[in-house]
Amino acid sequence: MKKINSIIAILFLSISISFANEEYQAAMLKEIQVMNQAGPASDLQKSANSFARIAQMNPEEWLPHYYAGLALANASFRSQEGAAEKDVLLEEAKKHVAKAAAISSNNSEIVALDGYITMAELAIDPASRGQYLSPLAMQKFGKAVDLNRKNPRAIMMLGQMELGMAEFFGTGPAKGCGLITASLELFEKEAESKNPNEILPSWGKEMAEQIKTNCN
Amino acid sequence: MKILAIFFLFIQSQLLLAQTNIQGVVKGQSGETIPGVNIFLKGTYEGVSSEIDGSYKLETTLTGEYILVFQAMGYNSLEKEISLQGESLVLEVTLREAINEMTAVTISAGAMEASDEKKAVVLKPIDIVTVPSAMGDIIGAFQTLPGTANVGNDGRLFVRGGDASETAIFIDGMKVANAFGTTASNVPTRTRFNPNLFKGSFFSTGGYSAEYGQTLSSALALNTVDIPLRNQGDLSIMSVGGGFAQTLTSEKNSITASANYFDLSPYQGLIRQNFDWERAPFGWDAEIAAKQKWGKSGMIKAYVHTESSGMKIWTKQPDSEGRGQLVDINNKYTFAQSSFKQIGKNDWSYYGGFSYSNNIDDFKIAADEIRNQNKLFHGKMAAVKSFSDKFSIKTGLESYFIRYSEQLISQDLKREIVDNQYNLFTEADYYLSNKLVFRGGLRSGHSSLANQTWLDPRFSLAYKFENEGQVSLAAGTFNQMPLEELRIINPTLQNTKAEHLILNYFINKNGRTIRAEAFYKGYNNLITFEGQRFNYQKIEQTGEGFAQGFDIFYRDQKSIKNTDFWITYSFVDSKRQFARFTEMVQPSFAPRQNASVVVKHFVGKLKSQFGTSFSINDGYTYHNPNLPGQMNSKTRSFQDMSVSWSYLPKPNLIIHLACSNILGRENVFGYQFSEQANDNGIYEGRPIGMQAPRFLFLGIFITLSKDKTANQLNNL
Repeated sequence: MKKINSIIAILFLSISISFANEEYQAAMLKEIQVMNQAGPASDLQKSANSFARIAQMNPEEWLPHYYAGLALANASFRSQEGAAEKDVLLEEAKKHVAKAAAISSNNSEIVALDGYITMAELAIDPASRGQYLSPLAMQKFGKAVDLNRKNPRAIMMLGQMELGMAEFFGTGPAKGCGLITASLELFEKEAESKNPNEILPSWGKEMAEQIKTNCN
Repeated sequence: MKILAIFFLFIQSQLLLAQTNIQGVVKGQSGETIPGVNIFLKGTYEGVSSEIDGSYKLETTLTGEYILVFQAMGYNSLEKEISLQGESLVLEVTLREAINEMTAVTISAGAMEASDEKKAVVLKPIDIVTVPSAMGDIIGAFQTLPGTANVGNDGRLFVRGGDASETAIFIDGMKVANAFGTTASNVPTRTRFNPNLFKGSFFSTGGYSAEYGQTLSSALALNTVDIPLRNQGDLSIMSVGGGFAQTLTSEKNSITASANYFDLSPYQGLIRQNFDWERAPFGWDAEIAAKQKWGKSGMIKAYVHTESSGMKIWTKQPDSEGRGQLVDINNKYTFAQSSFKQIGKNDWSYYGGFSYSNNIDDFKIAADEIRNQNKLFHGKMAAVKSFSDKFSIKTGLESYFIRYSEQLISQDLKREIVDNQYNLFTEADYYLSNKLVFRGGLRSGHSSLANQTWLDPRFSLAYKFENEGQVSLAAGTFNQMPLEELRIINPTLQNTKAEHLILNYFINKNGRTIRAEAFYKGYNNLITFEGQRFNYQKIEQTGEGFAQGFDIFYRDQKSIKNTDFWITYSFVDSKRQFARFTEMVQPSFAPRQNASVVVKHFVGKLKSQFGTSFSINDGYTYHNPNLPGQMNSKTRSFQDMSVSWSYLPKPNLIIHLACSNILGRENVFGYQFSEQANDNGIYEGRPIGMQAPRFLFLGIFITLSKDKTANQLNNL
């Protein structure tokens, strides 16, 4: 009897764990979809809130913080407000990135997102922030590529920075465009092997295609 | 098992039946509605965000006791215990504003900050090195900022009627003694430190924090870069010398070693000089900077700089023919320091360090051989406790050890003073809101040599308006021991004293910055004496004085495309009784009106930045013994127009060409008169002029790195 009891207990425990995991997966999938449909910056801020709620329930997972940071960075890009308001969004995004990095260190996706946030900070005031932030963004994308040479997002953003540099120095877009092309191939592969219930990062293909139009 | 399942279903259905609606509006303290608030039941997935109008509606099927959390950026989180019973709840909440470091008011009275990381700054570090008239000297750039006077025959920093010794320089919080190179009189000097070392600076022209002491007029705090971005070698080839620096970095630490050599002989061989050089200035320096991350948030830095330089110059004497007197100067200098910062538990943080400066000057003047040595040791330890986001207290302990000696080698004579100083400072910051902050501080000190104990209260407050503009007020008293060359003759000399009162308005919005400041500074216990250096007599401390005025700074990066410019105007009305003067006079280093304009224009097609800076003042006062009274004359207006061209043909190559005084104006900084009147009863005077009509600088800076886009500006 004792034995049966303990078996039931274990069974119940594992069911509840897998139930919790399913609940997490389901919540993430739903919120990723909501985020992808988001319109104005305020929608993205709501998405970030949703991911923050999932994060407080799953302190061992890096993805909720990752998506919260991503939603806030995109909110800053879309925001119609002033520099101060955008900086507030990005400060919050950086906090999420720091938490994600504390859970999963040397993660190419997180490092690339960190660089993406730096790019968003730069975009707020390129004239006065460019000199300081562009090498910083460059360094982060470089590190993200080093950590995973198959990360299409890291390669795409590195390519975008290279294109910016090339435009400035008039050195020609060959290198940047090469990176964009490489990232598009990786995006294709990612899409082929992607399970529809995958919650790992898979965004960026449209952005790469958009950048690619400057190469032709 | 079946029963269990049915039971489980039953509970589920019970839960489904009991739906609770929680709704309301979230507002801030001043009644504004807050959109985007994250509202959720702690420990569950249940939650919503507030709408644009601050309203929210949370529907949940959970029952029981829960905690409802309200989280919003810029506000303190709020938690409310609620009981879910299937009935509707209406919760109207008010969130308290959090003090946000980035957007909160900052005390800007007296202060001008250059930083990349903070938003309310006057300049970025890169702006400092690209000021055309600065010629790569960090102090040259500060001379285009409000409150400073350009004293072209000295080169040091003169702030609001104060002399150069009234500005203290700190690197990473630690005092630097003899920060400027040793030079002959009327030959301008430069700072010893490469501007690339620093990531930011805090320059205060008065009313500064209780953390800074032993300085009457100004504090300049320079902060060194943290871990550089990458491994790189930097080669510089300049018209006056060259150097190489190698940086090695990793995630947690970095080391940079550099060596530089300069010699003005070839340059002076090509370009005619007004001064009579026997040996043009030459020298070398070597330095090592190491950084180590300490734990999650700490950092330890160490820095050693050592250098040697020399020059020989003939100085004409007003009452004699020929080349005059030969002055031979050799200088050896070492500065070493280490500093740390760490964040501790329970909202404590700590920082501190030590520095050591050792300066040896060897002068050969006529038959005399003189050696002056100045050693300073500075140790500091400070702790900050944040009691909340609104209130924090900083407390620190400092000690200074000073040893100064003068040696007349030819006669085997030596004299020396040793002074130990101990300081305790404490300062409290209280934010009433994001709009209003108070700061009160107290600094105490004791000097063993002067056997004097003193206390300096400091106070400031700042208020930010709706339009982002802010007004601040600062007041305080400041103590500074007289120069060592005077104390060595009279070791019982006490502190000279100043009191500051400053009113400041500052706004930085949409790429434009306006800063206006009015000030009053009173001086007491100033030193008066008779005689010359090494032989001062009748040293007394009865001098007094004042400086009052205002300055205006306007910077604009938006109005003209690809153009950044700033305009500065400073008015100083200053009089003091000091040095050899027996009444209050306007000092030669305090021109009444100073203005400067700096313009930088970037041309993308040419990959070039063109810069020009123009400085003007209304002339320097001087004492003409042929006329009645003291400090009775004034030179004509000083004017300088400098231009520069920075060219980036490749990402890792910078070519910089700069020329000062392109209009070739013959500036005069004062007159030197003979000691004795000539046969006609007239004291003969000679103008103190410039080294050369212009100074030309050409530099080629090459960065060697795996990352081909790296250049030497990346470190800034």
